[in-house]
Amino acid sequence: MTTARAELRKLLTLPSLRRTALLTWAANLLLTFAYAAAESRGEPLGDDPALAPLGYTQAGFLVLGVLAAVSEYQEGDQIRTTLLAMPRRLPLQAVKALALAALTLPVAAATAATSSLPAGGAAWLPAATAYLTLTTLLGAAVAGVVRRAVPAVVLLLFVYVIAGPVLRARFGASAAYLPDTAAVDPSRGAAATITWTLAALTLAALTFGRRDA
Amino acid sequence: MVSLVRAELRKLLGLPTAWVGLVLGTLLAPVVVLLNAPYTRRAIAAGTLTDTSDLGLRDLGIGLIGPMVLGVIVVSSEYTSTGKDAPGARQLTATLTAVPDRLRLLAAKTTALVLVVAAQASVTAVVTLTLTQVLHGEHVPAPALTRVAAAVLYWTLTALLAYAIALITRNGIVPLTLLIINSSVVSVSYLLTKVTDLAAYLPDIVGARMFIRGADFPVAIAPVTAGLVMTAWVVALLAVGAVLFQRRDV
Amino acid sequence: MITIDRVSKTKGRTQILYDVSFEARPGRVTGFLGPNGAGKTSTLRILLGLDRSQSGTALICGRPYPKLDRPLTTVGALLDGSGAHRARTARAHLRWVAASNGLPDSRADEVLEVVGLTGHARKRAGRFSLGMSRRLGLATALLGDPEVLVLDEPVNGLDPAGIRWMREFLRDSAAQGRTVLLSSHLMGELAEIADDVIVIDKGRIVIHGDLAEVTGDHRTLEDAFLALTATEAGGPW
Repeated sequence: MTTARAELRKLLTLPSLRRTALLTWAANLLLTFAYAAAESRGEPLGDDPALAPLGYTQAGFLVLGVLAAVSEYQEGDQIRTTLLAMPRRLPLQAVKALALAALTLPVAAATAATSSLPAGGAAWLPAATAYLTLTTLLGAAVAGVVRRAVPAVVLLLFVYVIAGPVLRARFGASAAYLPDTAAVDPSRGAAATITWTLAALTLAALTFGRRDA
Repeated sequence: MVSLVRAELRKLLGLPTAWVGLVLGTLLAPVVVLLNAPYTRRAIAAGTLTDTSDLGLRDLGIGLIGPMVLGVIVVSSEYTSTGKDAPGARQLTATLTAVPDRLRLLAAKTTALVLVVAAQASVTAVVTLTLTQVLHGEHVPAPALTRVAAAVLYWTLTALLAYAIALITRNGIVPLTLLIINSSVVSVSYLLTKVTDLAAYLPDIVGARMFIRGADFPVAIAPVTAGLVMTAWVVALLAVGAVLFQRRDV
Repeated sequence: MITIDRVSKTKGRTQILYDVSFEARPGRVTGFLGPNGAGKTSTLRILLGLDRSQSGTALICGRPYPKLDRPLTTVGALLDGSGAHRARTARAHLRWVAASNGLPDSRADEVLEVVGLTGHARKRAGRFSLGMSRRLGLATALLGDPEVLVLDEPVNGLDPAGIRWMREFLRDSAAQGRTVLLSSHLMGELAEIADDVIVIDKGRIVIHGDLAEVTGDHRTLEDAFLALTATEAGGPW
């Protein structure tokens, strides 16, 4: 419990996380507006406007996860303070993921609500919230292995923004295995999102447990 | 100045992330052309793909993550903290001790970036377009040299745009995220063109008019005008970045 | 009480520690001496559970560091820098560390006062000078009022007043029965405060004993050290 309190405190006192959350939410608002405007001009963009903006703003959640994880390694070698205070690495890693999830959940819900409620997609709200939260955890897990923000962001955005859409366009039917298919089709991609996130978290926990800090 | 540029080239090419940008940026477009070849062939045969003059050139867009990464890390690597001892220490301190004239330093950085990206863009364009000719030669006219040059220019300007935004934000994550999201298949700028025609003058949209012909596009812009508008964006942002870089404490 | 028993460590292909064994006892200041790159920091990081050794044990009060409950109440450690994220204020940093070991928030302000940073509690760690970073690091080490202190080059970056303050602080801590282990490459500094001295060179312990034993027939501890760690001709580099 004390570990959870410490981890929550750490996340809450990082200004970059607050800024990222706020920017992401604002960007989502702007995109929702763009979709609505396109619709009202009679040029709908094809995708479900309740979900489409999240395809872009999920990048903000990836960044949120990355920043939370690399804050231990970059800008001051905080990881050793963390490990001196909480030396049991596996429980620590689990608490870290839970704390990040707890703080991401309201941001994810607010963001999902902004785009799904006006577009009449209230039914998608729980799924979208869960998806964005899991995406944040996946970002944090990958960044925990990479340990540097810029390479982690390049890698994740490459997969989500470039490789994902290309593979989906090319092998449409089989894309249910991609981590971000759920952003366009929640019912088909949910299992993949959960599996990828758990796999990334496991990999991060294993490397964290074995490496020198 | 030559030695300064050489130093900046060495610094840039010494970063592992730069190589990620170089390799990804160079390979993506040819790989996608290869992956899409059967689909493209079928589309041409079925007659659904009538305008083939953009084929190959249009595929180049996917590699833009390369110049974006390169442009951003030229700046962000200077601002990453270097040591555990003092979280305030940054590479920029060492750089500015070696080259105190900040505008000369920026000129050298800009030159190094332009050289690297122009070389990368030329290689990528030649490989991608040759591949397109080999795969679909009978249906696709060989693009005019000016259009290829315009594509190389587009890549270089995109790198400079990333570089200028990073100079302003002093941070790698913000410009990278914005630019990479915007390089997705349906870019945010493209969405905005559905909201207002003015969005046609956003740098990435207008720049593509330099070498892409057929696309649904709200405003007709000639290639040369397009190039000038994108260059104006880059120059303006670079000027803001340079002024800030000149004035700010490290 | 610190007990290090036959610790060996390999990084990549190079072995950096060979069967390192020594003890640091309560009520004494133990100086851990060696040239740059001799293995001092690696030994301390293994002792603190930050790095892994290939073999051997490093125990604090009879237990490996990761097995300690609320470890900050047993061990306070000062490594290079402050170990704080640059965007966090000194007080916010100390408060999360306190929370992690179930210590009250009020401890943050108490240790800030001990190290003389009260006026900088709301300053971000990234804006601290080197000396202030070290003080913040020390404040973090003192949060749990630990009985064992482990310090890596504690006087690095301190001004003369800070060095004197650190010296007296460490002597007082030992006098109160604490175990104090500090590494240094500054002979003169160490000769002033250490009761026991361990010399490490190229990953091996060269000598271990009280100050008089280690100094031996040499005029000063520095002479003894240079004789013990003498490298090839061409200077200590």
